[in-house]
Amino acid sequence: MYLIVNPRIGTPGDPFEPAEGINIDALLAAGFIVPAEGQPRAKQKTKNTSSQE
Amino acid sequence: MATATLLSNPVVTVNAVDLSDQCRSLSVSVKATALDATAFGDTSTKRVAGLFDNSVTLELYFSYASNETYATLQGLVGLTTNVTWKPASGATSATNPLATLTGCYLEELPPVFTVGELVTVSVTFLGGVYSVATS
Repeated sequence: MYLIVNPRIGTPGDPFEPAEGINIDALLAAGFIVPAEGQPRAKQKTKNTSSQE
Repeated sequence: MATATLLSNPVVTVNAVDLSDQCRSLSVSVKATALDATAFGDTSTKRVAGLFDNSVTLELYFSYASNETYATLQGLVGLTTNVTWKPASGATSATNPLATLTGCYLEELPPVFTVGELVTVSVTFLGGVYSVATS
């Protein structure tokens, strides 16, 4: 579950239930929503710098 | 009798983010691709509907401020999302229908920088399933 942070999504503090097709990762990355307490955070995008065999 | 609609307060969302105050135009194409079904004996071309090939194009002011156009769109390039629009900000109804393009693809984010003018961007969301809600 997610909570609304920015009024462009809805009322801040209200739960956000994404409709089918909504890109949650983009909303999290831009700070429009945050995971509700007790929910796992989205994976952070990291650059893989290890060499490939 | 001709009628006209003055769009003074439409609502546009991209990925559930309300970008109405950054949007200056929106154009929609709901297209059923025409397939040739002409056969021997026909005297005219026949067409039947193929796959729908929908798209919606938005012209937006390209604000870099937090939670504005850039923040909304930059993470969607190369991905799919939803775009919705309706004629007015009131409740969804038969006279104020909410249209949705679900699962449409954003190919590029090409802002235009011109001296003395606001930065704008024209983005086209390709494909997706078109639907309209009236309640």
